[in-house]
Amino acid sequence: MTALLTVDDLKVDIKTRSGTLHAVRGLSFTVNAGETLCIVGESGCGKSITSLALMGLLPRTAQRSAARLRFGDTDLTDARHARKVRGNDMVMIFQEPMTALNPAFPIGDQLTEAYLYHKGGTKAAARARAIEMLDLVGIGSPAERLSQFPHQLSGGLRQRVMIAMALMTDPKLLIADEPTTALDVTIQAQILRLLRDLQQKLGIAVIFITHDLGLVSRIADRVMVMYAGAMVEEGTAAEIFGAPRHPYTRALIDCIPQPGKTERGAPLGTIAGVVPSLIGTVQGCAFRTRCAFARTDCAASVPERAEGSHRWICIHADHPARMTETA
Amino acid sequence: MGIYLAKRIGLAVLVALFVSILAFGLLRLQGNAATALAGEGASPQDIAIIVETYGLDRPLVVQYATWLGNALTGDFGTSYFFKRPVAELIVSKVGNTVTLAVLSLGIALALSIPLGVLAAVYSGSWIDRVCSLISLMGQALPSFFLALCLVMVFAIQLRMFPASGTGSWQHFVLPAVTLGYYITPPFMRLVRAGMIDALSNDYVRTARAKGLPAHRVVLKHALRNALVPVVGLVTVQLGLLIGGSVVIESIFALDGLGYLAYQSISYRDFPVLQAVVLLLSLVYVVLTLLSDIVNAWLDPRLRVS
Ligand SMILES: Nc1ncnc2c1ncn2[C@@H]1O[C@H](COP(=O)(O)OP(=O)(O)OP(=O)(O)O)[C@@H](O)[C@H]1O
Ligand SMILES: [Mg+2]
Repeated sequence: MTALLTVDDLKVDIKTRSGTLHAVRGLSFTVNAGETLCIVGESGCGKSITSLALMGLLPRTAQRSAARLRFGDTDLTDARHARKVRGNDMVMIFQEPMTALNPAFPIGDQLTEAYLYHKGGTKAAARARAIEMLDLVGIGSPAERLSQFPHQLSGGLRQRVMIAMALMTDPKLLIADEPTTALDVTIQAQILRLLRDLQQKLGIAVIFITHDLGLVSRIADRVMVMYAGAMVEEGTAAEIFGAPRHPYTRALIDCIPQPGKTERGAPLGTIAGVVPSLIGTVQGCAFRTRCAFARTDCAASVPERAEGSHRWICIHADHPARMTETA
Repeated sequence: MGIYLAKRIGLAVLVALFVSILAFGLLRLQGNAATALAGEGASPQDIAIIVETYGLDRPLVVQYATWLGNALTGDFGTSYFFKRPVAELIVSKVGNTVTLAVLSLGIALALSIPLGVLAAVYSGSWIDRVCSLISLMGQALPSFFLALCLVMVFAIQLRMFPASGTGSWQHFVLPAVTLGYYITPPFMRLVRAGMIDALSNDYVRTARAKGLPAHRVVLKHALRNALVPVVGLVTVQLGLLIGGSVVIESIFALDGLGYLAYQSISYRDFPVLQAVVLLLSLVYVVLTLLSDIVNAWLDPRLRVS
């Protein structure tokens, strides 16, 4: 299968008062057509910055570099080419539906904007398309909605509008950065189901960003685990959940509350220790200060290991706990 | 929207009534209105005639009602100093002042919006500093000094525009530029701050995520939201300009309301002063009402509340 999105050695540096923050440190991965890649990791590990870097939406203080950044045949490092893909074949929805829509324009205007810009055609055609998309995302009486303003819609509805807006141009890749975090639990479930249904119906590839591994197990084809701006492990959902190799992945999975196993009201599991500062360089494995299996040579450079499609970066050839279990 | 409008209009009418009472009271606060009207050195007979003519011996409420009734029909009495009907006097000057105010405002907006947008888009860079400097000079330079410079260059050297007087549209150019440049800084600051705020908003990121060209993102999505507070300032400034261009009008000998107000104070010309105060306050009330309506249109969230 040819990759839809190819990312090779992506780096993002952000200038801050206390020095240059290396938010993303050499990330490489691919997304194939029609598949769901979940990017997981603790808060601050660079998931959002990665997605903004792909979209070319980084803040002015951030600097992006990559050996390769391609969408199909398009070189995304060329700003002019990237702008034709962005909002057209590659679209994004965000965490905060309450503020992601412009309060000054009716949603019909905002829905049709990218379509008219990228696809051209008449306003009437764009309007018809908008009605179709609102209907697709399960919004009732879509024609009347077009003249409504964002403040007249609830958070859940706004996120549906955002999804409809993203789908207007019939994209090939949807990047969703924690699209349900800001919503009520019941609405969260609805939006997730909607995204999954749409993905199956339309065959769009999805990059789904979250720190909720429980959710990942339900939707992911492949999973990439990030720590301190870099990948630590990547593989199919079965590989990641069935045989996690990296101690960090294992620790994350152990934090998922298990129905029946985890006691009601028990504190949610957390990984002890703090994330290292992203300012300055990191030598060796960034996780070693919190890792139960760290050795002195973890401070030296650590090898990337692979087993088929399963990749991980660790001094250990397999997860140490598993090695003793199987021994 | 209907209820919102009705509320605003009701409030405006109330304020207008209150202002009319104040304007009416202005003369009465002077103590003996008849003496004030008659001026210094008037004989008792003169005062008696004035009491008679103006009905000053009647109850205040009746006097107010009469005055308001007359005012509503456009009769503000006769100017003590100019010996002409006040209404006629005002009508002859108001056009000049309004023209000057609107032109100045147009110049201020034409300067401040591009400067503010540029400064915000490139905030922190040298472009920001240059734009801010250009705008700040408007306030730092005393307006009479700028007026003088403009007159030297454009009236005396280049002979493009007349240095003073009222007659043609050319007479308005130099005063309007002076006044417009002078009021540019607050507009520019407001546009810049509003744009910086708007540009940092999530909806601007959404607009960029659509792949729209930068100018569409800035000029449509951000500017529209940044202009909401500017509308308020426009109305305040227009009110101030109509009431307060005394300095500029006298420098350029432009025969407008500001100059008339100044004269009526120095000549204790109370009928004129009353009328000017009432008129200027009403301008304010109407402008505020208009700004509320325009704001509601610009910011749909206001329409429902
Ligand atoms: N505009 C910015 N200026 C400076 N530092 C930033 C900026 N945006 C993000 N960062 C830093 O970059 C790092 C990665 O941030 P990012 O938002 O990608 O994290 P994340 O993985 O999305 O976390 P979360 O789960 O909380 O959304 C963090 O250390 C953050 O503090
Ligand atoms: Mg994030």
